[in-house]
Amino acid sequence: MNIKNFTDGLIKNNAVFKQMLGLCPALAVTTTMLNGIAMGLATTAVLAGSNVVISALKSVIPNKVRIPAYIVVIATLVTMVDLLMNAYLHDLHKVLGLFIPLIVVNCIVLGRAESFASKNGIFASLLDGLGNGIGFTLGLAILAAVREILGSGTILGVSLSTPPIIVFILPPGAFLALGFLMAGYNRLFKGEI
Amino acid sequence: MRNDIIRYALTLSVIALLSALLMAFVYGLTKPAIDEARRQDFLIGLNAVLPEYDNSPDLDAIIIDNQSVYVAKKGGAIVGYAAVGHSPKGYGGTVSVIVGALADSTISGVVVVKHTETPGLGDRIITAAFLSIFEGSHISREYAVKADGGHVDQFSGATISPRAVCDAVNTANALLVKGLEYEY
Repeated sequence: MNIKNFTDGLIKNNAVFKQMLGLCPALAVTTTMLNGIAMGLATTAVLAGSNVVISALKSVIPNKVRIPAYIVVIATLVTMVDLLMNAYLHDLHKVLGLFIPLIVVNCIVLGRAESFASKNGIFASLLDGLGNGIGFTLGLAILAAVREILGSGTILGVSLSTPPIIVFILPPGAFLALGFLMAGYNRLFKGEI
Repeated sequence: MRNDIIRYALTLSVIALLSALLMAFVYGLTKPAIDEARRQDFLIGLNAVLPEYDNSPDLDAIIIDNQSVYVAKKGGAIVGYAAVGHSPKGYGGTVSVIVGALADSTISGVVVVKHTETPGLGDRIITAAFLSIFEGSHISREYAVKADGGHVDQFSGATISPRAVCDAVNTANALLVKGLEYEY
């Protein structure tokens, strides 16, 4: 039970830039900043939930069947988030709908379950889940901001009246932007972490 | 060893059972809200293509060949019809449109309700500037893009998306033609 459990996931061990997990949603939904943030928050909810449940069940689940057990837990949480979002945040769900079920196979969720929640207490796992989730949201938000500004000439839907460079909202632009951001991340934090 | 296997199976079964119960509960909880949200989405589309009406066209539908033709009424008199058309020929997948028609068989409006066309290129099919070409023409007309000998403008760099819209509109129109001939 340590605040480091929370802060580690934010920048030092950032899901997108350092662990390089969950890159499929990171590339796919970051066409606008709102999408990026929403996807990040949905993943955070699943991650925090799955970390808590798996940490609570860690003594009950036999080691040999832990992966299928984790996946069932994660899939249940994702389905719940999917249904709740469809019901109460319908407009957002229309944009992200396709990618929400894919949180099940997001490596961050299983990764944190396997490497942290299955070995640590419930509260520490909650902090780890929240930290990694918010770090993931941060990564998505930054990537999405860059892509939205360059690709659509808007930020959070507000026009900047800059000419749009369409490639940045297309898949190749996602790889380009992510590559440059990762280079920047490595340059900034080199040696310090 | 055998006991272990039984323990694994039992643990997984219990987890799966609890998960199923939880999901069933949330599904039941959210279903009314999801259905209502979907209906509202559809009504927004209908509002965009139909003249002013005072009934619920989504409930007041004629069923033809297992597909619905939505009937808009005002003061009990029919003011318009609407039908949904799909085309699998889009660049990114299916393109779905709602076409509205007046009682005199002219198109009152077309909206694209679902598409996965390329942002910035093919997705211009959702603009009013593009869709207005359909308005006012007869529902029995066959639509095609100029590249295929028709009269609908394609955009530079995107012929496939407008072609899919034409295809979807034609499908909806075929249904509308039957709907307008329908005898009550």
